[in-house]
Amino acid sequence: MMPIDRLADMEEKLRILEDLNMIYIRQIALSLKDSDIQKKIDYEIRMREGACKLLAACSQRDQALEASKSLLTCNARIMAYMSELQRMKEAQVMQRVARRSSDAGPMDDRSPCKAKVAISDLRIPLMWKDTEYFKNKGELHRCAVFCLLQLGGEIFDTDMVMVDRTLTDICFDNKIVFNEASPGFELRVELYSCCSEEDYSAGNTPRKLASKLSTSLGRSSGKKMRGTLEPGACSPTSNGGGAAILLPVPSVPGPKYHLLAHTTLNLSHVQDSFRTHDLTISGNEECSFWLPLYGGVCCRLAAQPRCMTQQMMSGCLRVKLGGEPQGWTNVYGVLKGTNLFCYHQKEDMEANVEPVLTIGINKETRIRAAEKDPHSKAQNICISNQYGGEEVTHTLAADSREDTQLWMEAFWQQFYDMSQWRQCCDDLMKIELPSPRKPAIVTPKQGALYHEMVIDTSDDIGTVTDILARRIEEFELRAQLGSPPHWMSLFDEDPPRSPHNHQHLPPHSPSPCHRTPGLLSSNASLTSDSDSPVSVSPCFRQAWSPDTSSSSGRFRPRTLSLDAKLSTLRGRGYGGFRCNCQPPTAGSGSPRPTQTALFCSSSTSSSSSSEGSNSQESDLGFSRPSGARRSLRNLRAKLDPRNWLQSQV
Amino acid sequence: MSFIPGQPVSAVVQRIEIHKLYEGDNLILGFSIGGGIDQDPTQNPFSEDKTDKGIYVTRVSKGGPAEVAGLRLGDKIMQVNGWDMTMVTHDQARKKLTKKNEDVVRLLVTRKSLEETVRQSMMQH
Repeated sequence: MMPIDRLADMEEKLRILEDLNMIYIRQIALSLKDSDIQKKIDYEIRMREGACKLLAACSQRDQALEASKSLLTCNARIMAYMSELQRMKEAQVMQRVARRSSDAGPMDDRSPCKAKVAISDLRIPLMWKDTEYFKNKGELHRCAVFCLLQLGGEIFDTDMVMVDRTLTDICFDNKIVFNEASPGFELRVELYSCCSEEDYSAGNTPRKLASKLSTSLGRSSGKKMRGTLEPGACSPTSNGGGAAILLPVPSVPGPKYHLLAHTTLNLSHVQDSFRTHDLTISGNEECSFWLPLYGGVCCRLAAQPRCMTQQMMSGCLRVKLGGEPQGWTNVYGVLKGTNLFCYHQKEDMEANVEPVLTIGINKETRIRAAEKDPHSKAQNICISNQYGGEEVTHTLAADSREDTQLWMEAFWQQFYDMSQWRQCCDDLMKIELPSPRKPAIVTPKQGALYHEMVIDTSDDIGTVTDILARRIEEFELRAQLGSPPHWMSLFDEDPPRSPHNHQHLPPHSPSPCHRTPGLLSSNASLTSDSDSPVSVSPCFRQAWSPDTSSSSGRFRPRTLSLDAKLSTLRGRGYGGFRCNCQPPTAGSGSPRPTQTALFCSSSTSSSSSSEGSNSQESDLGFSRPSGARRSLRNLRAKLDPRNWLQSQV
Repeated sequence: MSFIPGQPVSAVVQRIEIHKLYEGDNLILGFSIGGGIDQDPTQNPFSEDKTDKGIYVTRVSKGGPAEVAGLRLGDKIMQVNGWDMTMVTHDQARKKLTKKNEDVVRLLVTRKSLEETVRQSMMQH
């Protein structure tokens, strides 16, 4: 059989397996009468398909990294839901078995209350060596990292952070709250990383250049390249993950994250302040995704048991106040946290009036039922606390025997919860509610806009518009996933002054730009202080929005026909696209033919790049690097505006 | 150190005179620079204004001539021996610092703490 046929056959079989498994899962869910998990699994599978499609369609490294991260998270969630489904099924079966057998005794084991567990301010220190700095001078070894946090059935991922040797710590700003944790919870923290070196992505480099590069790479970079091409070499998990058995994942080409470090946190690690925990590191220096971790992770792990935040019991009580033996006062009692608050009436509690009496209920409190008061039918409840050296006892009575029983039960449950949640019940730990998640905008921190367009020098207008049409498709796909590409913000009627508006035009004043000041001032409203590497000349903005600016007449686009074509595309109601139109600067000998950008009359970049190719090596304090590959690498590094060069003098 | 278009730029500067040191048969100053009008200014960890394309000191060798002369990490270099450094490419800056026939460079640098010091001393009067 031809190998291609065999591959198709395998794929067919996998698809059938997948369908069968889905039917099996649905049956389990139906029998459990739990459609909740079913819905969740369906949702995650749809998300996963979307992520796969995005990975296959996108060209930018940043987008690919984000899509790969979503894929990993989806897989992890599917795994978690599946195992929960299995567990529930098992529990159901066990219950049936138990019922059939002899009567089990009265179930009097208490279950502790649940808690909200929050982890925030994750910080992982790095330990760069001096040799790292001098080894690759021009190129920054960059990794994309993120954390996956799992507690019970809930899985959350943090935002992705790019790490290079200018960072001393990896910081994740996310605050993550898990809602249903039991005292024996295990919070698993996993750090995934993926090497982010442009040279090693198979997608962008044309074949000729790729073969040239692969044969001419030095020893260390060759090793790294081999490492990325064989993910099995140093990574236990890859994109497929363990879910491959039940729900096989189509392996998608693209960046793959590998597990770099992990740790498990539990109740003993919970504290109201920052603590450092040890990390178990997987992988070694040879792996492409390696980062020199210091070995610990610092974070704030807080827990709020329900018994501390909610009213566990409330009702009418009578309490003996003062010294009079007969002085019963009617109060409305509320048991919450470490206190029993007694209000005059129920409305006072809702109005936040100060309680008449507050009785502490904590580990030191003793509660007992007193002898029957001859005047009342029910037993009294005596609560004793130690204030200072003295023992203070309060006597309470409920209205009926059943109420007394309920209150005693509530107190016992409170004590039990406190014994289970230990240090969390000393004081209420503050947990900030995480602000609604920002839409996943891929920040173009590394690339200028003109890098997004990949055009060969020999292409003509037709190909350009084809590429644009593809981009528009991609935009629609991303719109379905709910994350508008960053360049869309430029086409809002009122340019928002939010920090998400990355597409601003920086004041271009000193550059030898022959734009008239009028143009700049009309765009001043878009200027903001947020980060933006985009130094797109303002001229093109005019071409795209003739309605917003009156000075469009001053601008004459270089290629009239292209502009016309693009306007018709826009007129058809698609999202716009930005393109810089100028024939590529010939003669600069750019060693990156795939990324020959079309610069738009912004003379600074072109003039400096030609200067760059003429100048000498920038590491003067060192022995001169010899060999064609070194100079090729350095030249490439110097011409790549994404790097921020540093020179030793 | 950020500027308002149309307004003259002013900064509090400090003069630093560095005597180059022979290391082998190279003359070195003992620090590294980053930035330039051909570089991406948002990747500058030391600049206050992320559109500032000036030349910044990114590393100072311990005990080297630069540290001894008073250069500090994060300083922005305004002039080198009279040559302007606020509007040069990275390579031009490097060349002005590494001229073989000069063994002294006089820098004009500015840093945030200088402005603070001046402001505080002015407020006291």
